[in-house]
Amino acid sequence: MSLSLNLRGLASRLLSRPTATATSTTQPLSSFSARCTAISPITPAVAPAAFSTTSMSASGYGGGAKTAKAKGGKKKGGQERDPKMINMLKHLSILSPRRIPPPLRMARNRHLRHWTIHRAWLLFRRREREQRERTLMRQYQSMSAACEALRLTDGPGTRDQGYLYRVAMEKKGVYGHNGVPIEYARPLTDTPARSPWNHDWKP
Amino acid sequence: MSRCQQVVRPLVRSLRQGPSSTAIYQSPSIAIRSLSSTASRKDEGSTTQQQGADATTGGEELPSALLSAELGSRRRRAALATTGEVPFEQLPYQCFQEARKVLNQDRQEKLAKIVAETEKIKRLEAADASTMRGGEPFKQKRLRSLRAHVEELKILADINDPLVKRRFEDGMGDMSKPIYRYLANRRWRAMDYKIMTQRITQFNIIPDILPKFDPTMDVKMSFRGCQTQPGSLLSSRITEVPPTLRMQVFDRGERLLSVVVMDADVPDLDTDSFTRRCHFLAANIPWDPTKNLLSLRQVGSPQIGGDLAVPWLPPFAQKGSPYHRLTVFVMEQTPGEGPIDVAKLKEIYDGPGREKFGLKSFRDKFGLGPVGFNMFRSEWDEHTAAVMERHGIPGADIEFKRQRIVTLKTPRAAKGWEAKRQKPKYRGLWKYSKRIA
Repeated sequence: MSLSLNLRGLASRLLSRPTATATSTTQPLSSFSARCTAISPITPAVAPAAFSTTSMSASGYGGGAKTAKAKGGKKKGGQERDPKMINMLKHLSILSPRRIPPPLRMARNRHLRHWTIHRAWLLFRRREREQRERTLMRQYQSMSAACEALRLTDGPGTRDQGYLYRVAMEKKGVYGHNGVPIEYARPLTDTPARSPWNHDWKP
Repeated sequence: MSRCQQVVRPLVRSLRQGPSSTAIYQSPSIAIRSLSSTASRKDEGSTTQQQGADATTGGEELPSALLSAELGSRRRRAALATTGEVPFEQLPYQCFQEARKVLNQDRQEKLAKIVAETEKIKRLEAADASTMRGGEPFKQKRLRSLRAHVEELKILADINDPLVKRRFEDGMGDMSKPIYRYLANRRWRAMDYKIMTQRITQFNIIPDILPKFDPTMDVKMSFRGCQTQPGSLLSSRITEVPPTLRMQVFDRGERLLSVVVMDADVPDLDTDSFTRRCHFLAANIPWDPTKNLLSLRQVGSPQIGGDLAVPWLPPFAQKGSPYHRLTVFVMEQTPGEGPIDVAKLKEIYDGPGREKFGLKSFRDKFGLGPVGFNMFRSEWDEHTAAVMERHGIPGADIEFKRQRIVTLKTPRAAKGWEAKRQKPKYRGLWKYSKRIA
């Protein structure tokens, strides 16, 4: 409980609005957002996303996707936040008082009832999970047995043993017609660029 | 302390201190109670059982006015009016009852499993080991794991019971049952064990006294009724009488324990070093999980049992010697070997045998394993001389001092900026070169 309280305090401190003195640092960001507005006709998918993060943290404490409306690049106070700060706040917003409910305060009997129900719920979920895992395991093993039977069958006509298995294992057409997995073309990165695509690039 | 009390306490306090003139009399008692560490469990027990008790009798009791059925929300009043005499597990809350059904079903499954496993153990015990592939070792290993599994199932069968939880929190748990031992062990491991292992490493108990040691039982120590934190510096007047140990073992069965109190920092002038001294030694104390309290003063009495080998010598630290670590070790005697010969113990460790006591040699000579630990420290203070005089310990007038080591280098003339400007030629700079700190 104390941990969550600390986190609540931390989050509310971090999420409070910056003071009006930090005008010099906001300069580069405003130019960035101006550039965004300038190129927004070309790439309409990019600019609103950039604005939505700003407005979300501005409109308060990580309200989630509901508040993700494009309100324009400016906040109420006419200030901009550092994009790094925005990124941090997006992840810290799960610690905000809105997301973390206050600790439950209950009398003893009621707490015991609550505890009982909670334990029963955990038990129920565990049973469900184990049931699901059992089913999946059974299905997997039956599939594997079927593949093994296929491998040992002699093919249709003059085909040799295992032909059917090889054909069944082919992945033709899984990634579209003559396609390859998209990971081969666009490697996944841990740190995607801030502007995803450079439209002005000329070879 | 229960949640209910935490919430209501400021309210109670303001009620008490408000208008009445007795507030001046009552407020110190409240302050003392809130600081004391032992009273909280008693309070917890009393909240549920003595709900109707008079408010003025106990220090922290809830006033009966706050608990009466006429007060509170409409929901509470209705609940109290309709369910006054219904026992807790039959309270008519739908979700609660459904949850109890789920838990009960699980419990029945666990009980059936316990029966099945016990049958399996019996069959395996009756079976001939020579027919198995691994022979006798395999059979024993299998039996051990089956028994451990049954123990685990016993705990799992009861762990979801709210009444068990309530009884444990009230301190009414029956320690002969595995579930309460399990809960007590979990609570001990959560904090007290961590503090104890921290002290063991901080004060270098490992490796000064034992090369390896991990406590497995809870030992709390109190002098004259006050519980002490492990490793605290205690006044020698407090430690003049032997302490009381609150010991809890978490595994089942009877066993014999030995208790050793030793000083690990006795200055030894001959070797310019430190040795150890035995301050207390008792052996053959019968112990089981249901027992809780061991007063070292009463070891040897018929209700506690055990044999006192070395009586309590009050810890003392002579003036100038660094603090002494007084360690309390609880050692478990080898099961099935019977009691230790006390006459031999007295011969070895009583009287002059107290000095240069070695715990490792004691452990090896008598086949003991250290299981519990606690410690405190003592320093020279204003009562030490009186305590030593009362108990006939010589040496109260000795004061230890660090020997000053004279340098063997020949003295050299002072060098440097300041030394040069000590001469009268630099009179104007004396304020910078003379008497600088």
